[in-house]
Amino acid sequence: MAAREKYDEALVVEQLHDPQLCKTAFGKVIEHYSSQLYWQIRRMVIDHDDANDVLQNTFLKAWTSIDNFRGDAKLSTWLYKIAINESITFVNKKKVMNQLSIDDDESFLVNQLESDEWFDGDQAQINLQKAIATLPEKQRLVFNLRYYDEMKYDEMSEILGTSEGALKASYHHAVKKIEQYLGETE
Amino acid sequence: MKQDDSTILKKYGKDPGFKVPENYFDDFNKRMAEMLPDVEITPVDVKPTMWQRIKPIVYMAAMFAGVWCMMQVFSNFTDSGNLDSVRAVAEKLQDDKSNVDEFIMSGGVSDYDILSYEDSVAMSNKADSTVDE
Repeated sequence: MAAREKYDEALVVEQLHDPQLCKTAFGKVIEHYSSQLYWQIRRMVIDHDDANDVLQNTFLKAWTSIDNFRGDAKLSTWLYKIAINESITFVNKKKVMNQLSIDDDESFLVNQLESDEWFDGDQAQINLQKAIATLPEKQRLVFNLRYYDEMKYDEMSEILGTSEGALKASYHHAVKKIEQYLGETE
Repeated sequence: MKQDDSTILKKYGKDPGFKVPENYFDDFNKRMAEMLPDVEITPVDVKPTMWQRIKPIVYMAAMFAGVWCMMQVFSNFTDSGNLDSVRAVAEKLQDDKSNVDEFIMSGGVSDYDILSYEDSVAMSNKADSTVDE
């Protein structure tokens, strides 16, 4: 397999605004970000096929609005924002399809995890995912970004438009709720 | 400091147990790049301006200049010769006569005014000493 070209974000952003090079440049963006965005989406929507659809929509939306991206924010921040919005929209649509209220938690997404062919975790992992699914949307996002992606609070603050202090408090509450849930179920 | 999530981390780790089909990302990247519709791109010069490029250097230079200025001020204060001159000025200010001289120079006070002033001072000193006694 041919070695992948080194990803230079400044160059790619420049090329994204060049009508001759933009498509190739966006291809590099897809190659560079597809994995990290996929895992973020997957932790939100749980199912692999759903994550695939949401990831596809994320890149399509980014591509069709690439003209609005002026490089003021980091490309990763912009893409994460789109991915998170797409994930939330998807989950809410799925709730409506399952005749659930928007305010209900996302436990229903985890219920089929045991039979999912793209899940090889044990019962403990299922319990953890169930605990995460009981969190309010924002806490869930903050927990996933911090716990799994080890994202810094300042970066998270840019993506979610919330102060770092509020994010730290959210994470703390999320951890406490998860520990309590796991304590009760075990 | 104990981390918030250390208990969860110890027990569950960071692998959520999700997996993807083999070569999923390579296939996805290829498929996604192929399905991109044509969009109209407005050419924009996103190259940084000259100011944006030299801004960090200018800020750094300003910072060093500030530090240098502070060091100069500090060294002037610690310089003993300078302290002497400060002391001399202070002594001069404490000297009544020199103050009077300055006053005369700037205010155009006549000799008669000076004599009247000295008389009044002598009178008040005498009055004070009388009271003390």
